This record gives sequence, structure tokens and C-alpha cells, in this order.
Amino acid sequence: MRRVVITGIGVVSSIGTGAAAFARALREGRSGARPIGAFDTTGFAHATGCEVVGFEPERWVRNVPLDEVGRAARFAIASARMALDDAALTEEELRRRPGLVSIGTTDGGSDDGERLAASYVHSGPESMDPVAARRLPASTLATGVARELGLSDVDVSTIATACAAGNYAIGNGFDAVRTGEADFALCGGADAMCRMTFTGFYRLGAVDPDGCRPFDVNRRGILTGEGGAVLLLEPLESALERGARVYAEILGYGLNCDAHHQVAPDGDSVRRCMELALADAGVGPGEVDLISAHGTGTKANDVTECGAIRGAFGDRPPRTVSVKSMLGHTMGAASALGAAACALGIEHGFIPPTINHTEKDPDCGIDCVPNTAVEAELRVVQNNALAFGGNNAVVVLGKR
Amino acid sequence: MNAAVAERADEIKELVCRVLEIEPEKVSDTDLFTEDLGADSMKLIELLANLEIEFDVEIDEDEIERLVNLRGVYDVLSAALDA
Repeated sequence: MRRVVITGIGVVSSIGTGAAAFARALREGRSGARPIGAFDTTGFAHATGCEVVGFEPERWVRNVPLDEVGRAARFAIASARMALDDAALTEEELRRRPGLVSIGTTDGGSDDGERLAASYVHSGPESMDPVAARRLPASTLATGVARELGLSDVDVSTIATACAAGNYAIGNGFDAVRTGEADFALCGGADAMCRMTFTGFYRLGAVDPDGCRPFDVNRRGILTGEGGAVLLLEPLESALERGARVYAEILGYGLNCDAHHQVAPDGDSVRRCMELALADAGVGPGEVDLISAHGTGTKANDVTECGAIRGAFGDRPPRTVSVKSMLGHTMGAASALGAAACALGIEHGFIPPTINHTEKDPDCGIDCVPNTAVEAELRVVQNNALAFGGNNAVVVLGKR
Repeated sequence: MNAAVAERADEIKELVCRVLEIEPEKVSDTDLFTEDLGADSMKLIELLANLEIEFDVEIDEDEIERLVNLRGVYDVLSAALDA
């Protein structure tokens, strides 16, 4: 098996675009929360979300006609391009190597889908925009990246395992590169704000009216968010040969699906997934310096996840943070953004804080690094992702 | 229905009416949510979620079958609170 490293990071987020801006925002504990503008929120008692503002897709989407890719695909393409630039590689260099493009998502092109549905309902089928209909398939997230960069010798997949999809995609890329099937992987996740997702969580009472405050005793749920993150993975050997900057090494990952409940996480299964990831990485629980939790800020998630963490790590688990406190829940992008945050924390020696924290929930029993980032030498970091249906995915990163 | 539920019966009815979007004065304990009051399966899921959050209990999703009317809600909540 080859060793696999991250040499490029691309990020579109509500707190900063590009690896450097994202790292600064994480360190400052910036909040991406603002009133939702992506869709009409009339009738909702509260509508705060973590939207990306000022995104200029034409800066990144240069080859694929813009109207053929939806907002999530644009996030994916932009993130992939940034990762490529960040790794100091060119499209021409990638085209010469066998590769993999894998993007996780929850909603794919659902934002266009719901606008099409609305025009159908209000004005009949003839009013539907055929160009918008082409933006719907979730597969356009990964194919969009391959098209934009002119990559033809690549395995292309869009993975739709909801809120854990980013980690699934990273695991997919890691496998392809470590086994030698691919010489690089562009992998991560992307999602765009959509009314359907917001409404679903809102009506279930799982959207916090005030802000996302994971592990806080007064937490009341998620904030929906959007964004994208793509990592460029390559074998350690090629990274060293070309003198590339190495952010972190991917040490291993674990996946499981318990299908225990549609929406509620199962603690035992989450613990097993973490154990699978650590076993794959070849590290013991005592070696993990930081956990980037799924940490959605719902009552059920945070208690269950922290219980699972104590199950795997004992009564003194590593510091456990939630970047969702800053980014909201970006669905399929969430664990890709989390992995990017972990890699940046390793590279720059800091732990991103869990913001909006007032009072610790004793039932969580973890140190969530409240409100202010801390300097720390991180050697091994674990990035958790839990999704509906009991789809769990955990990625372990290490300092190179 | 147990004592805790009896004490909060009005509050529970209010929650049910808010979620199902119906007027409290038009609902008896035995009116059927789907047949009489126009609720659908999504509304019942929503009701289950809201009951769980409001009363800080876990309710098995199979219990949806018993959430047919207000009386069913009182019974399910009583059982969940006693568990």
C-alpha cells in the first residue's frame, strides 16, 4: 500500500473561500450565520443559515458553460480548481495521470429542482426551464469537475450518502491512491442551500432559531449551510519528488451503515465506525490529539456522538470540536470541510474552536474548545461524519 | 393517561393543533387526524418529532400507528414518560 497525502485544499464556505482564508476564519472562530437569502423565507418564524455570499463562479468555472452546472456543482468545480492551484499542479499534469474524482452530496441539484417544481405548480409544465432541468442530476457535481479540468482518464463518482458523503468521497479517493489504481484523487463534497432541506429540518424542530451551538446545554439544533471542499490527494512519493507542500497524511478511514433508524444515530454503531477507522489507520485511541465531531448541535446527535466517543476513547477523550458551530450544517460538504479544517489545523498548529458556546452540556462530557482557537501541535486528528440511515464515515489524518 | 400527561393535556392539544395546522376548538379527543382532520404521514412524523423535543422523551417510530387521534397521543406520551 502506498502512503497518501493531501497536497492541495480548495474551499468555498460561508466564512471564507480558499484554503488560506478558510484557515484564518477557523482560527478567528468566525460565524457564517446570516439571514437566509437563497429562497423566500416568508412564513417561517426564523430563518438563519450559513450561506456563501459573494461567490463568483466565473472565476473558477471557465470551460464548462455556467448555465449547465448548478450552484453545488459550481462549488465543487471551484473547490477542485483551488485544490489544484493550491497543490501547484496544472490541468495538463493531471491529464497525464490516471485519477479519481469523487464528490459527496446530500441535495445535488435540488435547489434547481425545487425552482422547477415551483414553476410547474404556478405556471404549468410549459414554463419549466429545460436548461435548468439539465442541472438537476447529482452526477453533475463530479462530472462537472472532470469536464472543467479536461480529465478523461478518471474514475468519476458523486456519492449521495447524505451528511457523511464528504468523508465517503475522501475514503474513496484514499483507497484508489493507496492501492495504486489512481495517481491522484480530487475528492470532497458540495451542497447548495435549498428550501426543501431547510423546511424539513425546520418542521422537525431541529433548526436553532438563534445559532448553532453544539455541546451547549441550551442547543436547539442545526443551521443549514452550504459550500464545498475538495482535497487533492497524491502518493507521498510523488509529493516528495516534486517538492510539494504536504498538509497532512491520510492514515485511514472507516465506514459502516447500521440502518438502525431513519434519522437517529446509533451510539454503538458510531463507536464501531471510529474503531474501524483507527484500526485502518493503525493508531490507538491514546494517539488521537483531536476529534472534529459531526457535532450538528441537535440534542440527539451531540449526546449520542459524545457517548460513542467516550465508548471508544474512555473517560478522558481527546478535545472534540464542531466546525458546524461556524459553518452550519453544509450537508454533503460538511465532512469535506471538516477534513479540510483538520488538515489546516495540523499544518498551522491550531485547534478550531466550537463557537456560540455558553454553558457546557454535562451529558456531552467533552472539552469542545469553547469560542477561542488554541495553539496545538497535532499529530493525529479524527474527522467524524454521521448521516441519516446510520451511514457513518470517519477519516483519520496525521502529520507528515 | 398518566398524571403528568393529564396535567399538560391542554398544552399537548395546543402542540398537536399547531403541528397539524388545525383550530383547537374543532378537535375532539377522538377525531381522527388523517380521516377527519386531513393530516398526512409527513405531518404525523412531524408530530412525533415535536412531541419528542417538547417532552424530552424518545418515542419509537412504530408508535406512529397509535397516533391516530388526541387520545392516542395522550396514551403514547404516557407510555413514553413511564418508560
